[in-house]
Amino acid sequence: MESLRSRNLEAANLRRQNLASHILTAPALLWLLLFFLVPYLIVLIYSFLTPDIYDIRFIFSLEAYRQVSAGTYLKPFFLSFRLAVFTTLACLVLGFPVAYLIARARERVQNTLLVMIIIPFWTNLIIRIFSWRIFLASEGVLNDVLLRLHLICSPLEIMRTDFAVILVMVYVYLPYMILPLYSVLQKLDFTLLHAAMDLGANEVKAFFRITLPLAMEGIFAGSLLVFIPALGAYLIPQLVGNQQSLYVGQVITYKIKNIPRNWPMASALSFTLLLLVALLLFLMYLAWRRRVLTKRGEYE
Amino acid sequence: MSRKLTSAKVYKGMNLSIFTLVMVFLYIPILILIIFSFNDARIITGWKGFTLKYYAQLWTNDAIKEAFRNTMLIAALSTLISTVLGVLTALGLENKRFKGRKGLLALIYTPLVIPDILMGVSLALLFNFTRVNTGMVTVLIAHITFCLSYTVIVIQSRLADFDYSLVEAAMDLGARPATTFFRIKLPLMLPGIIAAALLAFTLSIDDFIITFFTSGRGFDTLPIYVEGTIRRGTITTINSLSTLMIAFTLFLVVVTKRIRKTLISAL
Repeated sequence: MESLRSRNLEAANLRRQNLASHILTAPALLWLLLFFLVPYLIVLIYSFLTPDIYDIRFIFSLEAYRQVSAGTYLKPFFLSFRLAVFTTLACLVLGFPVAYLIARARERVQNTLLVMIIIPFWTNLIIRIFSWRIFLASEGVLNDVLLRLHLICSPLEIMRTDFAVILVMVYVYLPYMILPLYSVLQKLDFTLLHAAMDLGANEVKAFFRITLPLAMEGIFAGSLLVFIPALGAYLIPQLVGNQQSLYVGQVITYKIKNIPRNWPMASALSFTLLLLVALLLFLMYLAWRRRVLTKRGEYE
Repeated sequence: MSRKLTSAKVYKGMNLSIFTLVMVFLYIPILILIIFSFNDARIITGWKGFTLKYYAQLWTNDAIKEAFRNTMLIAALSTLISTVLGVLTALGLENKRFKGRKGLLALIYTPLVIPDILMGVSLALLFNFTRVNTGMVTVLIAHITFCLSYTVIVIQSRLADFDYSLVEAAMDLGARPATTFFRIKLPLMLPGIIAAALLAFTLSIDDFIITFFTSGRGFDTLPIYVEGTIRRGTITTINSLSTLMIAFTLFLVVVTKRIRKTLISAL
């Protein structure tokens, strides 16, 4: 009798807790349903409609997807994908030594160095892009200095090239790679490295056999943080790239903003990009799971 | 032995040189921008003497002042609302067993792994579909939406390693639930809440693309204004404006350090 009563009391308590959770999370849930999920449904619906110069017509059409599957927009997708790959690789190669050095520095030095990474990271995005325009422009500072030093005889035309786009992308996204790498490397047990080298491994071998595998989590996280925004980049290609090579983000934006508008096309392209990202995340998830499984296998 | 020593040196030297290179890479453009904001020239090339006139021009430029006000208003409101929602949601998520928890978590995490531009596009089409006039309210809605995921996650991660014995002790000593919450739990959550609010604030003032899709004509934030000015080619005041914004960043870095220190010593 007593236990039944206490069980009822516990059940009532649980119900009350669940109710409280529902009430507390309801505002955010409603918000995200209304302003995150529903908008994507509208994108999906719009992608099957007919364009109008200023607006949209509610007439069913498969034209947008016909154009996507015919490969009309293969080049922007290729450019964006290439940009994402190059940016991620460059950030990894440059970011790893930096994260490693910070992680191995003394604690006071670590904090100072982290702040030095965070300052550009917190500086307004548009300002960082703008500063590169000043630096790289044909009458810009870089060319000015190089010309005065007689290292070149005519200004380098770096601005408005695909190279400039990659350069500025790396600049903007480098901290997104360094910070997650730092947070795993900081937890890394460096005595393992000493042990490996005592046993005769050189630095390179120790790096590939010990540091790299243990830092994998940070590499995954950092790559994700760089790769995904790079796929949807608009502002950097727009401000330092050229109009001959348009990236997916630019094509989508033009179809929405410029007249004649083509919202079904913008929607179909957005949805294709969304599917690409989903596929990528799924592949990364598989790779991650396989890694975890083989690791477990090794220890068994 | 000597071979091993040199390879260690090469390895370390390589690391150090990449490190130096990255630091130069990170700071050179910003430093040049700051220096040239004091340059008395209409175009960017060549040093023509020191001047503060572009700073003076900022104070007389109404468009910049309005964009600044808009930015601060949107940042303050979206920070406030997304942080309050974040606190409520994180508290609700503490209970690991209620129905729909996983779905909600998925909804919170998904915006973080989708390119920003897609949120901009989808909100632009939502506001078109519902025939809402774009302007301050639509920008505010958009900013709350992208800040919300971050505030929930930051506050929740602080709650994850929360010491419940303190709450239990307060209850045992006879404190009512409300008292326990406001006197014990909220103060302990405070560092997480401040971190979340700071993140939301910086995300809001930094955003270009989502604002670009959700602001109508006549409602410019600073990033939108700066982009438009760069496109039109009248950039003389942008140098000085940028320098002030960089100064603001430095101020934030210093202030957060102070806040962190006071918080640690207060606890």
